[in-house]
Amino acid sequence: MTATAASPAAPTSQVPVRPVSFVGALRAEWIKFRSLRSTVWTVLITALLMVGFALMMASLLNTASTEPEMQEGMSSDPGLQALGLTGTTAVTLGYSFAQLAVAVLAALTVTNEYSTGMIRATFSAVPHRLPALWAKLVVVVVATVVVISLALGVAVLVTMPILDSAGLPVDLSDADQVRALVGCVLYLATVAAFSLAVGALLRHTAGAIFTLVALFFVLPIIFQIVVSASDAVWAEWVNKLLPSVAGERIISTGVTPPTLLEPWVGYGVLAGYTVALLVAAGVAWRRRDA
Amino acid sequence: MIEARGLSKRYGDKLAVDDVSFTVRPGVVTGFLGPNGAGKSTTMRLVMGLDRPTAGTVTVNGRPYADHARPLAEVGALLEAKAVHPGRTARRHLQALAATHAIPDSRVDEVIDLTGLTDVARKRVGGFSLGMGQRLGIAAALLGDPRTLILDEPVNGLDPEGVLWVRHLARRLAAEGRTVFLSSHLMSEVAQTADHVLVIGRGRILADTSVAELLDDAARRRVRVRTPQPTALAEALRRAGAQVTASEDGGLDVAGTEAARIGELAAAEGFVLHELTPVSSTLEDAYLSLTSDAVEYHAEEVS
Repeated sequence: MTATAASPAAPTSQVPVRPVSFVGALRAEWIKFRSLRSTVWTVLITALLMVGFALMMASLLNTASTEPEMQEGMSSDPGLQALGLTGTTAVTLGYSFAQLAVAVLAALTVTNEYSTGMIRATFSAVPHRLPALWAKLVVVVVATVVVISLALGVAVLVTMPILDSAGLPVDLSDADQVRALVGCVLYLATVAAFSLAVGALLRHTAGAIFTLVALFFVLPIIFQIVVSASDAVWAEWVNKLLPSVAGERIISTGVTPPTLLEPWVGYGVLAGYTVALLVAAGVAWRRRDA
Repeated sequence: MIEARGLSKRYGDKLAVDDVSFTVRPGVVTGFLGPNGAGKSTTMRLVMGLDRPTAGTVTVNGRPYADHARPLAEVGALLEAKAVHPGRTARRHLQALAATHAIPDSRVDEVIDLTGLTDVARKRVGGFSLGMGQRLGIAAALLGDPRTLILDEPVNGLDPEGVLWVRHLARRLAAEGRTVFLSSHLMSEVAQTADHVLVIGRGRILADTSVAELLDDAARRRVRVRTPQPTALAEALRRAGAQVTASEDGGLDVAGTEAARIGELAAAEGFVLHELTPVSSTLEDAYLSLTSDAVEYHAEEVS
């Protein structure tokens, strides 16, 4: 068969190009995610921190188990009581630092694109836009789930001898401890989704990180002080409904104090905020000029 | 084929694109010429669906850009240099864009070769020069082998060799039957690359014509006249509706009429002419006279 020259009016392409699809958008976002050194570093450091904090807390519990004074001090601390003093508490302790890394990483996957102009290339390739946002969401959430699960697995293994000697082994027959372990993964994955939505709404890196640090770190500290210093009911409610204060209840194995929500209720509050933010982010993502 | 009908875009109280209608046809290079801030980039973003028009419609190959099943096979766009994350390598950047349309890696390597980026493809974009950034943008535009190319100031930052390369590429793509729409704020650039030209100023289309016609118009515009009686002739020409200015060497610059008409008028009224020369003004002059009222930012006259 002889090839006929393409007529000038209708060039025929030899390049195989398939219709743009969600799977395509997903592959694109996965390539983007893993091709930045900063992402790779953040993920590694997050995992290391999770394991490091687990080791530190396990050693502390081990020391406390032989020193009655220290044990008494720990068990009378209201914060630790709410968290619960089990092996799982030690293993999951790194979540409070991991959440910062996860939040920043998730927000950056969106705000980076706006600050570099990459967003215009992204929208040109996926002009319906929403598949690109959901693809980012899937990549960030799945990456968080995988990394945090692995980090927790390693943390359980390396702390096992220490926690055994402390008499506080991670007990997988205890429903609360299993819920806390799974909850740790769930909480951080939800923080990732929440932060991605904040990034998509604010579009600026500095603004998004400021907002997330304020929500997840500064406000909880301020309200903890306000709540312990006064008995204002509104402050107690604002405090227990803060995204991190509500959400992290799912990682606790202790007794829920009256000032905080039950574990699943708390997580439900965080999930509710996250869904609302994602819907708002989706609307803005579609509508705004790029 | 790009078709805009009554296209407008307002940012706050500024009308960036003002009721613009035009058609960019396949098979030729169409230049999009205008001073900075005239609305070129905004118009191109509207074509790509990146900005929503305040009014009007624009289609590419018969449909709004977003309604195509394979957008990258319809339109390739270079909208601004380095719309790329600096921490990513050139190849990864292209692979990510290609992945959306399941375009194979072989095509990614092809456009890397085509744009001369082979040696730096695995380097991070942050270290790229402006020219290399432009080449990467063009590589991205070519990924889907699109029928229409939109290139916003493609020669910006390129060295002379790169400028020639872009010119040849644009001409070759048009010769293959593609639509090539290329913006520039330099008349000379458009004259050397484009066949057709749209001139835009303050968001309005000022001219939609072939480059040859624009050149003719420019050439026909002024006539140099020398006469022993300049004042009287100037008076007569003005009565006939021409614009006359005295030039420094004692001659007259006449606009708004043709050389033949001036000769007839001089003969009829008994003037002696020492010179009667149609002056082809430069392209830049033609462009400046078209856009002089439509320049966003005038420099102060230096005297």
